[in-house]
Amino acid sequence: MAELVGALGIPHNPFTALAIARGEQAAAESRRLYGELASALQQMRADTLVVFTTDHYNLFFELSVPIFAIGVAAASSGPSDYPMLPQFEVAIDGELAAEIQCSVVAEGFDLGRSQEFALDHTILAPLGVIAPQMEVAIVPVWISTSMRPVPSAARCHALGAAFGRAIAASALERRVAVAGSGAFSFEVGGPRMSEESHVGVPAPDWATRVSELLAVGDVAQLVAEATPEQLAAAGNASGELLNWIAMLGSFEARPASFVATQRAEGHAYAAWQLG
Amino acid sequence: MSIFAVDKVCRRVVIDPGFVAALREDADAALRAARPPLSERERVLLLAGDVGTLGRMGANFFLLHQLGRLELFGLTLSLYAQRIRAEYAAERAQWAAEQEGG
Repeated sequence: MAELVGALGIPHNPFTALAIARGEQAAAESRRLYGELASALQQMRADTLVVFTTDHYNLFFELSVPIFAIGVAAASSGPSDYPMLPQFEVAIDGELAAEIQCSVVAEGFDLGRSQEFALDHTILAPLGVIAPQMEVAIVPVWISTSMRPVPSAARCHALGAAFGRAIAASALERRVAVAGSGAFSFEVGGPRMSEESHVGVPAPDWATRVSELLAVGDVAQLVAEATPEQLAAAGNASGELLNWIAMLGSFEARPASFVATQRAEGHAYAAWQLG
Repeated sequence: MSIFAVDKVCRRVVIDPGFVAALREDADAALRAARPPLSERERVLLLAGDVGTLGRMGANFFLLHQLGRLELFGLTLSLYAQRIRAEYAAERAQWAAEQEGG
């Protein structure tokens, strides 16, 4: 029987991963925090990592964009959008992914299937830091959190709950971890950028608030506060919080085993030991 | 409504080195050949690197900033950011005031 053994919340800034790969001192804190997630993932002894993430216009672009989609294949590679980052060939747990898709569609979620895909930095930039041997198979799940309209926080949480039930019902021998990838407040190239860069963190207080709710395990309150207006005010990438909320839906709410906020980056690192 | 054509140009500069080379050689010709076709105004704004106006017209900022990253149409990332800030100066001032007011 498959078992959900843990969960991770992972930021995915590609330039941080690049700085870590280059051994830059400026990335020392991020290296340490990713190290905490690496330790947590090792402790989970997961065979498969289900990653809720956002396509950064690399896979679906604006051509045919599913609100929810899952990757069902044998293998993939990437990160496709940052060739300067370390490149990886990775196993995809297509068997489990197909089971999950059937299960959650039967529950009423329109979860599309992608059978040939490259992975972008949102998955492989952080995984290249915390699991560079790629000893864990991946199930990518894309939530359309950037291109309006985005699904509601409640819907994403319900999707995650359906994933949790699908994993629990699977007869496959798997230790499964889930992850949510992304930031809570971040702007890329848009009007809410900082004065110093083409990116920015428009709502650092919101990032802190999200981390506080994660620390105490108040997921219901987080879902209630993650309104479309709040997400819009926090930047054009802040919908990535929905990936975390889907991850949080897959298990019963509880305080994070580990959470650390980088307020100036608008994101956090978090882990939940479930097994 | 063809702002999608602008987004597609911004997407192609990331994944299509041949398109980037064509833009560097003869930007006007490369844009005229782009499909779906750009409107006359979109083509002129791209050639001018007027990302502020293109953003105001609805271009996707995730994609638009790639023009600065690839240093096309006279842009750099710094100049890109400067032009977006200038175009949205009024909104930025309002957001800053709202934050200060709590």
